[in-house]
Amino acid sequence: MSFWERLLKIDRKIIFIVMAVLVLFPLLKPLGLGVNSGPRAKAVFDAVDAIPPGKTLLISVDFDPASMPELYPMLVALMRHAFARDVKVLLCGLWITGAGLADKAVTEIPPEYGKEYGKDVVYLGWKAGVDAVILGMGENIKNVFPVDYYGHPLDSLPMMQEVVRLRDIPFMVAISAGTPGFSDWLLYGQSRYGLRVGAGVTAVSAADAYPFLQSGQLTGLLAGMKGAAEYEVLVAKNGYSKAYMPAVAAMDSQSLAHLVILFLVVLGNVAFFATRMKRR
Amino acid sequence: MRRSLPLAICLIMGIVMMVQFFVPHPISVGFYDLTTKWIRIVSAFALVLGVGSLILYHLDRLQRRRAGWVYSIVTLVALVVTAVIGLVWGVKPGSPLQEVIFKNMLVPLNASMFAILAFYMASAAYRAFRARTKEAALLLIAAFIVMLGMVPVGAAIWGKLPEVAEWILSVPNMAAKRAIVFGVALGAIATSLKVILGIERGWLGGGK
Repeated sequence: MSFWERLLKIDRKIIFIVMAVLVLFPLLKPLGLGVNSGPRAKAVFDAVDAIPPGKTLLISVDFDPASMPELYPMLVALMRHAFARDVKVLLCGLWITGAGLADKAVTEIPPEYGKEYGKDVVYLGWKAGVDAVILGMGENIKNVFPVDYYGHPLDSLPMMQEVVRLRDIPFMVAISAGTPGFSDWLLYGQSRYGLRVGAGVTAVSAADAYPFLQSGQLTGLLAGMKGAAEYEVLVAKNGYSKAYMPAVAAMDSQSLAHLVILFLVVLGNVAFFATRMKRR
Repeated sequence: MRRSLPLAICLIMGIVMMVQFFVPHPISVGFYDLTTKWIRIVSAFALVLGVGSLILYHLDRLQRRRAGWVYSIVTLVALVVTAVIGLVWGVKPGSPLQEVIFKNMLVPLNASMFAILAFYMASAAYRAFRARTKEAALLLIAAFIVMLGMVPVGAAIWGKLPEVAEWILSVPNMAAKRAIVFGVALGAIATSLKVILGIERGWLGGGK
């Protein structure tokens, strides 16, 4: 067996070990590659920045723990940005497995800015029937969610006196790991009620969002962990938060992971063609 | 009667809801509000159907001792245990369902499953991603640029790389995606019309 043939049959455990080492190393010792914010993330940032203090940002938590490393930092950075500007935050979700993640953010982030539940932030929870939920919220949020995630009647929450329907919300960000997600908010929330929508998506589904960006239906896009890191940088640069930036910290790892995969693809192709030439 | 009644309801509701969209009269809005409530209630019943279907499928696998039948036991036990915990102690924050099942089981399991994808992707890319044809080579080059352009190391290698990656996503990718979106939308309109007019009857089931 030639060198190239042996290379093609390399034990996958070796690949796994190389990958694990290169992902872990930058987490322990950051490379400091830095993150530059692109126009898509800046568009989301500007839209949140343009919400007048006292008004409400809606965030739909449409992801599960599988996508948490990519999408949860977006949720946290968006909430920090809003609270730093005295913008109220209303959360809901189209994924039942995202309910606990939104609860975690609602428990941890508002106290950093001295914000109170019910006055500055409300979490509606999850309800079955994606399109009907969005359409119902367009008419009257209380009809769909008579009580919030914690069982408080919406009438008892001061923030919900001013937010009756989707038209009362100047901007929303749908943080989606798939379907249901931002496309449902565009389809029902925007087309029917004129809701301005920005999206945060996993890197693999970012390509699906591009047609809606160019058409202007999506105001901006946070794509994958890089999008989350870009937003964290924007929030920090503008003095809204000095907190630890998990997505920025993970970008070095992701850089090395991408390099490993690309190196392996090149190596695999070289070995493949070298073996084929030798056989001829 | 068993087929004609659902067909008639579908035809009437389909046409009424289409017309309703363009009529802002309070009666029309009220009717729309009522139907969205019905939809939410019907959606909740889909959950019951889903659970029933899951149980029947896995019981069948167990009875026939199909490959991997042990995993069916895991699924059924997990379903029963989760349901019992939820029904007995509730689903509110702080309940065992949230603290034990969600935070300490679902979150780490789900995150681990997704995390190991990176390892399998690396291995699969090494073994399968070959530039055997011109099209495959083109795909490989595009993937190469986008993968590098989407991480900070890409900009460190060549400052223009993120712009090139952005162009690939914004122009050729978007053109293809838009064609797919149009195709799907036209297909959905055609199928919806066929369902409303009773031409497509697959949703009624196979019985007489």
